[in-house]
Amino acid sequence: MKPIRALILAPAFVAALAAQQFQIDLSALAAKASDTVDVSLNGATLRFAAKFLDGDDPEEAGVKKLVAGLEGIYIKGYKFKGRGAWSDADLDRIRTQLKPPDWSRIVGVKSTEDGETNEVYLRTGPKGITGVAIIAAEPSELTVVNIVGPVDLDSLATLTGHFGIPKVRIPHK
Amino acid sequence: MDWLELELKRALAPRDPPPGFADRILGRKPGFHARRWMAAAAAVIVIASAGYGYRWRQGLEAKRQVMLAVRIVALKTSHIQAQVKELTR
Repeated sequence: MKPIRALILAPAFVAALAAQQFQIDLSALAAKASDTVDVSLNGATLRFAAKFLDGDDPEEAGVKKLVAGLEGIYIKGYKFKGRGAWSDADLDRIRTQLKPPDWSRIVGVKSTEDGETNEVYLRTGPKGITGVAIIAAEPSELTVVNIVGPVDLDSLATLTGHFGIPKVRIPHK
Repeated sequence: MDWLELELKRALAPRDPPPGFADRILGRKPGFHARRWMAAAAAVIVIASAGYGYRWRQGLEAKRQVMLAVRIVALKTSHIQAQVKELTR
């Protein structure tokens, strides 16, 4: 890359990193993946997209409500042909960035039987929740999500009733 | 009536147009300036329409990305909720 182009692209790259609350550095896994999902939506794009969401459609209305006020959604997802493509070291590179006092883990499920690891982290500030991180690792799949901004957890929970995903009812104690 | 008044009266007296005057006016093609303005207006309409179309496509693509992102989040959240439910049963 020519130096001048690097100079032009550097601020954009830094801005993209700044928008994300942690770095999802899983580029080494991309080469091994059979399918890759890379979603990078900043606040401006979310606001722009919201104008095209139909408020009369229940599914799109739910999405519109969820993304209102968000500053970004960043997802990296990889599907692998076989098992064992990712290691704990890959997850640790993410986990080390999700530390207190900014981040707190609210869910951590590890199933040695199924080879699954699922973790949900919340980032809180003086005004409440400012971000959510999800690490969802299955034997042949790995997904990392960063939702930036004041996430409405109720809206997030109601999403499970849409997109053909059955609603999960968790008994309140 | 002085000479000036007589001159004015003669100059301003109603006169019939020469034969074929009306046909020549009605059959006149737009001039160079009119054609230029019409071309400019057409160009503006075409550019504005193309810009609007491009913006519309961008919006639909952004919407598609947002729906994909939320679908992934919903899927993962649902899966984690189900796991938690299973463990707390």
